[in-house]
Amino acid sequence: MTTVLKEENNDLVMYFEGRLDTSAAPEAEKAVAPLKESSGRNIILDCSQLDYISSAGLRIFLSVLKSAKPKGDHVYIRGISDSIRAVFAMTGFVNLFEFK
Amino acid sequence: MNSVNLDQHGEALLQQYRDLRPSLEQLCQQAYDLLCQALAEQGIYVTAIEHRVKTEQSLAGKLELKGAKYKSIDDVTDLVGLRVITFYTDDVDKVAVIAKRIFDIDWQESVDKRKLHQLDAFGYNSLHYICRLKTGGPRFELQMRTALQHVWSTIEHDTGYKGSVKIPRKYKRQFSRLAGMLELIDDEFSRLRQELTDYRRQIQSLVKSGQLDEVPLSLESFRNFIDQNHFDYLNKRIAAVNQAEIYPVSMMPFLPVLESFGMETLGDVQRFMEENGEDAYQLALAQLAVTDLDILSSSTALQYLCMVYVLKHDGGREGLKSIFDTINGESEANGVLAEMMLEQAETLPFMQKKQ
Repeated sequence: MTTVLKEENNDLVMYFEGRLDTSAAPEAEKAVAPLKESSGRNIILDCSQLDYISSAGLRIFLSVLKSAKPKGDHVYIRGISDSIRAVFAMTGFVNLFEFK
Repeated sequence: MNSVNLDQHGEALLQQYRDLRPSLEQLCQQAYDLLCQALAEQGIYVTAIEHRVKTEQSLAGKLELKGAKYKSIDDVTDLVGLRVITFYTDDVDKVAVIAKRIFDIDWQESVDKRKLHQLDAFGYNSLHYICRLKTGGPRFELQMRTALQHVWSTIEHDTGYKGSVKIPRKYKRQFSRLAGMLELIDDEFSRLRQELTDYRRQIQSLVKSGQLDEVPLSLESFRNFIDQNHFDYLNKRIAAVNQAEIYPVSMMPFLPVLESFGMETLGDVQRFMEENGEDAYQLALAQLAVTDLDILSSSTALQYLCMVYVLKHDGGREGLKSIFDTINGESEANGVLAEMMLEQAETLPFMQKKQ
């Protein structure tokens, strides 16, 4: 699992690549810390190279959303595959995020 | 500083003011903090709480006009001024009660401008208290008015004080008519708030007593229904499949979905749960048991109920897509999602029975 944080058009974009599972979660948790500290910018979680997401990964995404919402910032999920979208749907989180 | 001409007495008063200024600033902040705290404790939400110490220029202007009226600077009661602007007329009275509790009121100087008008006259409506901190010190003015009263008086003040031309009677009358209209609107807002509160109470008691067929499905009633934890049992049952944590989210986005099913009362929603609960569980089981997903949103049960309802009513792929389109915005990706859900549902008993 690798993560890369970039600034694109004043948005913060976090690129996820590989499998976001329980073993990758602690590293990913650290990687998203700057997203939680940011304010006044859109956050994009780019999943175009993400192969798999577990509950641990969902929790990380939810934690980013939880810190962004009170600040009025938007969290977008971009480039999600059908199988990962199904995970969001099965767990009832599909309407919580904005998909790009 | 300005072109104000003060006599000796006026100058003396102005000097007293200059000497007092630091303590006035302190008093202003203290009174403001006390008021903010008391309003917050009582849960009274207002549009604004303003506070200021009168500027030297403003005081000089006042002294030039009526300086002889004041023996000492203590007789000027608005050196420190606070203003509470409320949403509703009833809240003006509530703020007044709080003010009486936290400050000492000088009743001789306080005035309820709302009661000064003749029965057939309309104009400046505001409640003014001259107060003192319970610990003593100089007096200060507290004005309490609604947002609409504030708008009226601000515009009236702005227009009336601009220029030296005397305002003709017909324009004054226009201001009075507007004041009357705003008073009417203020009363209507208060009445509306009261009626909505009564309606909410009535809905709550009907939901509580289980008379769900009597309750029309609406934003308010559905929220009440959710608050009564009607979806908890099914959520917990589904969560037990993977010993999952239930993450609280709003279920309100599903209201338009239920309305699109033709549901009109909470009784309809209750029957929808009873008739589809077992199949919703079976569908969730089929999807989740083959995963290790141990976190679910609190809208999971409702989502599966909606999916089952659609499938039982021959909604098929388009019906499922329509659910996702409604809760998450229209998208072609929702069609793919619908197909995946449909594929997994097709092996379930309720789908077999249908065939």
